[in-house]
Amino acid sequence: MSFSGTNIAHPKSVAPPQDDFIIGPDDRILITGAAGFIGSRVVQCLLDRGFRNLVCLVRPSSDVAGIEAMIDRRPPGARIEVLKGNLLSREDCETASKDVALIFHLAAGIGEKSYPDAFLNSVVATRNLLDACLEWACLRRFVLVSSFTVYSNCRKPHGRLLDESCPIEERPELRGEAYCFAKVKQEQVVEKYGKNRGIPYVVVRPGSVYGAGTSEITGRVGIVTFGPFLHLGGSNVIPFTYVDNCAEATVLAGLVKGVDGEAFNVVDDDLPSGRQFLRFYKKNAKRFKSIYVPHLISYAFCYLWERYSLWSHGQLPPVFNRKRWHAEWKKTRYSNEKLKTKLGWAPKVPTAEGMRRYVEACGGNGRNA
Amino acid sequence: MLRPVGVTDGMLKVAIVGCGKIADSHASQIQWIEGCEIVGVCDREPLMAEQLAARFPVKRHFTDLTALLEEARPDVVHITTPAETHFDIARFCLEQGCHVYVEKPFTLYAQQAQRLVDLAERKGVKLTVGHNDQFSHVARRMRALVQSGYLGGDPVHLESYYSYDLGDPSYARALLGDKHHWVRRLPGKLLQNVISHGIARIAEFLTTDAPHVIAHGFVSPILKQINESEIVDELRVIISEEERTTAYFTFSSQLRPSIHQLRIYGPKNGLVLDQDHEILIRLRGQKFKSYADIFIPPAQLAKQHLGNLVTNARLFLRRDFHVDSGMKYLIESFYRSIREGTPVPIPYREILLTTRIMEAIFDQLRASRLQGRMESQDRELPLGTIAPEVKQ
Repeated sequence: MSFSGTNIAHPKSVAPPQDDFIIGPDDRILITGAAGFIGSRVVQCLLDRGFRNLVCLVRPSSDVAGIEAMIDRRPPGARIEVLKGNLLSREDCETASKDVALIFHLAAGIGEKSYPDAFLNSVVATRNLLDACLEWACLRRFVLVSSFTVYSNCRKPHGRLLDESCPIEERPELRGEAYCFAKVKQEQVVEKYGKNRGIPYVVVRPGSVYGAGTSEITGRVGIVTFGPFLHLGGSNVIPFTYVDNCAEATVLAGLVKGVDGEAFNVVDDDLPSGRQFLRFYKKNAKRFKSIYVPHLISYAFCYLWERYSLWSHGQLPPVFNRKRWHAEWKKTRYSNEKLKTKLGWAPKVPTAEGMRRYVEACGGNGRNA
Repeated sequence: MLRPVGVTDGMLKVAIVGCGKIADSHASQIQWIEGCEIVGVCDREPLMAEQLAARFPVKRHFTDLTALLEEARPDVVHITTPAETHFDIARFCLEQGCHVYVEKPFTLYAQQAQRLVDLAERKGVKLTVGHNDQFSHVARRMRALVQSGYLGGDPVHLESYYSYDLGDPSYARALLGDKHHWVRRLPGKLLQNVISHGIARIAEFLTTDAPHVIAHGFVSPILKQINESEIVDELRVIISEEERTTAYFTFSSQLRPSIHQLRIYGPKNGLVLDQDHEILIRLRGQKFKSYADIFIPPAQLAKQHLGNLVTNARLFLRRDFHVDSGMKYLIESFYRSIREGTPVPIPYREILLTTRIMEAIFDQLRASRLQGRMESQDRELPLGTIAPEVKQ
């Protein structure tokens, strides 16, 4: 399979030497959400790069089989400590962050429909962790894994191009998505601790992360809210990043010198359009019927839904609205230039190969890749 | 800091204490009720108070209850904190002369409920509990029918079903995964936090204050498979008044379809309330002759279902069919009772009886659990039942 390169051209990347890293191989590194989709790959990526002192914080209910497998095959001399805890507990945060030089903070309230739940598990948890870091005063960088959802995708300085200079959603409470609200507020908390309390930080904003382990199709391609699959993406480029590539970018954001206070968008090269992805998925993974909804129609639908929600005092919750349309379904181009130039990142897994692995994991054969 | 009771300038000043999930429902309903404003929200966690204030028209946010009452001076306080804190916060607010709306479960113990009611009456302020299911459209239609004498007399028997889907990721996962979750600290654990809606439906129609309660509870096989031994998620209860009304209450996490129903039978007719689909069905006691009895009643039932469809559609088109419409109606009724001095929407007797029945259930489950532990040294036994009277 070959997806045409619809995102912008990129310079050749060069992996930075170990001397350019802010920590050494024996410094203690904490990974929150280590049992998760990206978190487990971050752990593996750190081991591959020779880091030997890792602390994996997981929820008490998490399945740690993946981490245990990594422990079994860890390189000689490497130490992986698994802590079961809750970031809402200040004691757990203090235990986890003790003597830690670098934190990769991936734990978040994902899939929460309730604003308070999402907020609690993302923002309050992050604040607790940052407070604990201040207690130990040995942290050299805090890497927050955020999301593309924080961008408003309006009033962009370079036309249709979405990059790190684009504005963040100013009124996330109006997006109709608890996740967006929580992520915007989470970034604000990290930024505040960076400015006021001197915690060095980097924000990583992955696009749509895919790979073996997820089977859902991103809402940027389409939704199944009303029964049939409504294909809303059309010819829009979908900001995919393969999970291993995303983990690599996250790790580099934590290691490379001279990027404190920066944000990095993570998208792969040769991104497919929504239509290309859907055709490929149907051919290789699962056949189903979809209905294409042109952009004009989807925009009008979002506008009318938003008006009705307001008029009816929330009889229908404002889950479809113009802000969401701009963020998810407006024609947009994406850039990974900053990631390549400042961190020396390059996608390890090409999009064609990533898609093949993805559909295979979804139950397909990937032969048409 | 005693304050005069009543609304002075016509605008009812409202405060919310506890800014978690259920507080969102309260704030989203209150913002559409005329003649009131949210003057403050309060949570010990400042970020939680901030986030609620950021998303709703809220004047100020606090982390200290005393500061909230002194500075925002609310007329009404909604308590949406975890259940174990309800009594202390409600008592404090009542003592300061505020009207109080307490989320369910009202209190942990019946004695606490009685003390709050006594205090409210002594202070001349009003009190209610978040049994909002009692005020959904369909529940109000059913109540009107019962009050019109449709049953043909006092209820003979009631059946209340209350399902709870533990597959619901947000709450159940947090509860099952966290051995320190606040719900586990409640005397009745999960049951205490969720069964009051179903019990209140029965309590509304009981006339004595001390019904006989027999409870049988157990941990479902599904939960046992994941090594859960504390959370009783299957409960069957028989409630009876001396030679009068009887009731069955069923709580289940495994029952499918997941239902929230009340069946009420009188000497002449019966009614079925289906909360999930907002359906009310009249069960007529009258029999038809011969084969007519197998043709006419199905047609009548079909007509009733069609009628429910039309009613629901009409309510939706009138933009009066919100998810929390019962809560809005309850809050509006409570505020009206404060402004106009009319009776509270939920009689105190019903609040107290609900709490007493729940306490009797939890006492029995605890006793049978202890008994089971003693006997399990020799063999594994199902949880037994003991049947004391409800304490007054």
